[in-house]
Amino acid sequence: MADLSLNLCGVALKNPVIAASGTFGFGREYDELYDIGQLGGISVKGLSLRPRTGNPPSRIAETPSGMLNSVGLQNPGVESFIEHDLPWLLTKNVAVIANITGTSVEEYCKMAEVLAPTGVHLLEMNISCPNVHEGGVAFGVKPESVYAITKAVKQFARQPLIVKLTPNVADITENAMAAQEAGADAISMINTLTGIAVDVHKRRMILRNNTGGLSGPAVRPVALRMVWQSAQKVNIPIVGMGGIETGEDAAAFMLCGAQAVMVGTANFTDPFACPRIVRELDAYCQAQSVARAQELVGTLQAY
Amino acid sequence: MQEINAKVLSCEPLCAGLTRIILHAPEIAAQASAGQFIHMLVPDSAHVPRRPISLMAFDRQAGTLTLVIQAKGRGTQLLCAMKAGDSVRCLGPLGRGFDGQGAETIYFVGGGLGVAPICGAMDSFATATSRAFFGFRGAQYAYGMTQAPCPVTAVSDDGTLGERALVTKPLLEAIGERRPDLIMACGPVPMLAAVQAIALEQGIPCQLSLEERMGCGIGACLGCNVKALHADGTWSYKRVCKDGPVFEAKEVDLRG
Repeated sequence: MADLSLNLCGVALKNPVIAASGTFGFGREYDELYDIGQLGGISVKGLSLRPRTGNPPSRIAETPSGMLNSVGLQNPGVESFIEHDLPWLLTKNVAVIANITGTSVEEYCKMAEVLAPTGVHLLEMNISCPNVHEGGVAFGVKPESVYAITKAVKQFARQPLIVKLTPNVADITENAMAAQEAGADAISMINTLTGIAVDVHKRRMILRNNTGGLSGPAVRPVALRMVWQSAQKVNIPIVGMGGIETGEDAAAFMLCGAQAVMVGTANFTDPFACPRIVRELDAYCQAQSVARAQELVGTLQAY
Repeated sequence: MQEINAKVLSCEPLCAGLTRIILHAPEIAAQASAGQFIHMLVPDSAHVPRRPISLMAFDRQAGTLTLVIQAKGRGTQLLCAMKAGDSVRCLGPLGRGFDGQGAETIYFVGGGLGVAPICGAMDSFATATSRAFFGFRGAQYAYGMTQAPCPVTAVSDDGTLGERALVTKPLLEAIGERRPDLIMACGPVPMLAAVQAIALEQGIPCQLSLEERMGCGIGACLGCNVKALHADGTWSYKRVCKDGPVFEAKEVDLRG
């Protein structure tokens, strides 16, 4: 067996496979299927300071090799998470990443402050949700605002801060660099690509929110390109995601420069996707005679 | 809840537009109850989300599940094109089904594709005084009436089967004759809304089986939601896949 372990911003992960925020709840449902302690980490459903009801139905539409979602950050609020879900998650021997969202810089800072004394291992700051107007994407588009919010939240964060970037920008590497300059400990990328789905028979939008975020294998080439380009520009760790379905897909992201990966939509196609990807990544490393998976990071040969 | 490779025993046309699939899925059949569903992987890797399909019947002894699928998009077309001997990945049984425990008289209401889960509910809960009311577009779309465990009154949109009427017409007439303890319904949203209105107006307990586009199917992604009303006048979204698909009629706001 290859050594899949890594140190992500000072946090020990047993492997680089992390369940992506928004696809995995707080882990309870998937833990009924398998021990979620097999995973490197779990990025929990996006948390806000107050509970959010989310968008009305329908929230999901299938697209070619992918899907759109517009859940709209439905969540019970950070206090409820800390009281009801976190204690259970912390018994699971898995790195817990609190994904946070807000409607103002102050709210993001408050979230970091509220989570500071808890056992959460890492923070993932979502400044890239495309599905709510005030869902943070306003802070995630321009490099100056990425810098400003990262700088502000870093003052309150006690856990390493991962900044999750949106691909719906002209040049994602500028935002990656802005996050790094402001003190981000890592970046995760990519959030979903904004799209729409049309019901031609009814001549109307399928999603009640009109627009949604595209995910799944359809976005993988775009995500790989963005990770690879960003890895040329920043030194902080990159957590790569976008359409990962197999261990080889995970390896591709690591070759492009990601230290760890997040698996989201694949959980819907195969509820056992995350532990399977861990096994497949191990098999890939063995086939490549790679003793430590981290040796793969950034070794892609480009022309 | 089990993730299994189910074997297709048969996959044949049931009536116009619908296909009946019988699966050998003993692990799921052993745990199933009426109104639950399975999450089926489309047998083509280009299709990312699974398809939630209600159980029309389940046989614990034979280890089989009976499903009815409407080939609507490419994914359901591929599922309906499966052949006996094929295998298909299924997660289930999922969700909260119907509960007819203790009800002396149940009126079952099904519309179109929604007749399928109602057949399952009838198999489990029909009593001597229970009745069923099915609505179809026309005779060529009808199914589920031959081996029903209680009397079925069918109506159609075009008058080719029974009366040309909405299914709520014979339901209301039957309620006038004998008030049921419980109504169970599944069908298009306008039908469900009409049945819900009748049940609420007359104070009859009523369970509605809802449909929604789903992501994970197990309650994690919050992709399938329905507006749920609370006793204190507030509301929140509930998960169709995990908190449902069967809900109390008084609990849900079908307008979203």
